[in-house]
Amino acid sequence: MSNIDEKPANTPLEGTTWEVELKQVGFVRRLLMARRWYGADWWFVTISAVAVLIFIIIAIFPQWFAPYSPDALAGPRFVAPGATVELSFLVVPADSSVNKLQDLAVPEGTDQASVAVVQGLPTSGDLNDAAQKIDEIIKNQPAGLRLRPIIDRYVTLDEALQSVMAGTDKAAVVQSTDLAAIKASYPTLREAGSLSGQVAGNYILGTNDIGQDVLSRLLWGTRIALIIGFSSSILSLVLGVPLGLIAGFVGGTFDRLLSLLMDSLYAFPGLILAIAITAVLGPSILNIILAIAVLYIPTYYRIVRGQTLSVKEEVYVEAAKSIGARRLEILTRYIFPNVIPSVAIIFSVNVADAILTGAGLSFLGLGLPPTIADWGIDLARGQRFIQTAWWMITFPGLAILLVVLSFTLMGEGLTEIFNPKLRDR
Amino acid sequence: MSDDILYSIRNLTVEYKTRAGAVRAVDNVSLDIRRGEILGLVGESGCGKSTFGKALMRLHDGPASITGGELWFDGRDLMKLPITEMPNIRGAEIGMVFQDPMTSLNPVQRILDHLTETILTHEPGTSEADARKRAEELVERLGIRRERIMEYPHQMSGGMRQRVMISLALALRAKLVIADEPTTSLDVIVEAKFLDLLKELQKEFGLTILLITHNIGVVAEVADRVAVMYAAKMAEVGSVQRVFADPKHPYTQGLLKSVPNIKLDEGELYKMGGEPPSLLHPPVGCRFHPRCPFAMDICSEQEPAFEPVAGDQSASCWLYQKAGVQRVAENQDVHNG
Repeated sequence: MSNIDEKPANTPLEGTTWEVELKQVGFVRRLLMARRWYGADWWFVTISAVAVLIFIIIAIFPQWFAPYSPDALAGPRFVAPGATVELSFLVVPADSSVNKLQDLAVPEGTDQASVAVVQGLPTSGDLNDAAQKIDEIIKNQPAGLRLRPIIDRYVTLDEALQSVMAGTDKAAVVQSTDLAAIKASYPTLREAGSLSGQVAGNYILGTNDIGQDVLSRLLWGTRIALIIGFSSSILSLVLGVPLGLIAGFVGGTFDRLLSLLMDSLYAFPGLILAIAITAVLGPSILNIILAIAVLYIPTYYRIVRGQTLSVKEEVYVEAAKSIGARRLEILTRYIFPNVIPSVAIIFSVNVADAILTGAGLSFLGLGLPPTIADWGIDLARGQRFIQTAWWMITFPGLAILLVVLSFTLMGEGLTEIFNPKLRDR
Repeated sequence: MSDDILYSIRNLTVEYKTRAGAVRAVDNVSLDIRRGEILGLVGESGCGKSTFGKALMRLHDGPASITGGELWFDGRDLMKLPITEMPNIRGAEIGMVFQDPMTSLNPVQRILDHLTETILTHEPGTSEADARKRAEELVERLGIRRERIMEYPHQMSGGMRQRVMISLALALRAKLVIADEPTTSLDVIVEAKFLDLLKELQKEFGLTILLITHNIGVVAEVADRVAVMYAAKMAEVGSVQRVFADPKHPYTQGLLKSVPNIKLDEGELYKMGGEPPSLLHPPVGCRFHPRCPFAMDICSEQEPAFEPVAGDQSASCWLYQKAGVQRVAENQDVHNG
């Protein structure tokens, strides 16, 4: 099966055939054959095991890494990854008592405060919106205050700020990007908060269509993905392994019937069966786990049954009988420990598969309630805005890819290492 | 039943069910195993000796089953016991050593666990510490260092594993040990040591050993008596000295002549003609007659009975029975001449 064993017809260098051959193949082939040719199994396993460990830590403590709560409307909608958010900030003289926009309100009938803005910037619009919102609230209160600031427009930022220093205007509204420069050149002025009360956030992976932080949802989504992956795999292991053991050991009609049932389950395309089960049970995390567990029971069953059939013919099982071991003892102390290594390996691959199926179900809207931070749900939401906000669908997709890849690589690598039959070197 | 006979097998028949029909791998075989002896059971591959050995513990399942006979072990007919009680006998009273020491120990259990499991299974009252102590003493007696008891089978050599297998049988002072080709996969030096050990143990513990082998040399070395099987039937039984000095059954004679010997010149080694018969359709009459140099008419018509022929030597051959007596004289001339 391996290419290294086949010698080309006319190789001058006997003995170092594989080295010659190695020079003839392309980079991609070398990469693909790395496991076998360079003995890269351990690297595959180590790297993927570290990745798996990181994902597990994130899943247990997402709050350590996520800057926002997954449900919080953390900022403006559709902020692209890495883009700085433009917020309008109020700037007042350092000795002013004004600390937020509302402090500019005056009693009904008296002159409204004038506020400086720069022409052509969105700041005047922001000011209008924010003032109107506050006015709506305070005008019905007993204090009888109103907030309808007079907007003075200047051509340059310096003019606007100088008018504030001169006292012509009570305050100025500037963009958050200018704040640092203002602080440096106008020490007598200070910033008095943003108009909307929001903090200028840093959204590494952007925000989604309702202003939630994509990164935070991604990190919290790890938890759901791993819960689904692990619980459903453990559940199918707990059910599939004993069934396979007993069927393989007992044999006969019980084995036939159970194998028939398992084979018919196996015959269904995975996702379709899971869809059918969740459609009947309804969306909840427990039902997803149940549906996926049912899906993978036959995998464990078949592998364990096959192994049991071969192990029970081993001489040491007969030797166990000859020293008076009873059937249960043979099953638990002789067959089970010899069967379990192959189960441990497929478990890892199985977790990856279960995560994929879980995300698939959520994507189709059959999985979880949409309030939960889940990659599948985020994918489905992102799909609607794929032309305007590519980051919404890309990052959850990449996260699924990475998790599945690291679990699969770990499982496959372990198989290569621990199963001497698959290893041909 | 005399008291010095430990295991009396009467008319044992074991059949394998195959698609082509039932195959009798052991056909109507009777044998007495005496207390404290080493009985060698020899025969060609496929003659039914291993099947016979397993049947003594009623270990068969699947296609094989014991279809007839009595197994009088220490005053009890094991065939009359319910099969669910056999685990009490196995290990405790009859132990077994298998051919391939590489595969006959559980690869995921320590040597200690093998031994304590055996002890605790049969003597549930024993404490773990006691069982461990007994296991350690036993292993040490068999020449394996005490510390190595915590090792796994793959860390031991073939000879050591075979000694561990013996210790499993000795752990509960089994009266009978069935050793099924125990030295086949060992090299000659380890084999010699193992056989010495077997003899020592037999004397020390008063062990009875049924040594199943195809190696005549091994039998000559250690056995007290020898039983020769041919095509699912018992051909000849007798003391090693008598049988080797004066084999009665023509098959035994052929077998002994076929043993390679360094004194023989090239081409001198005797090759028995013909092939062992198919057990699916065994020859009518004596099963050896198609290959027998002394075959008579009666041999292909009637089966000879298994009877004493001289002293404690028994054989199933017409040469020594009424109808064949006439030929004995001539035959012996041929044989000696």
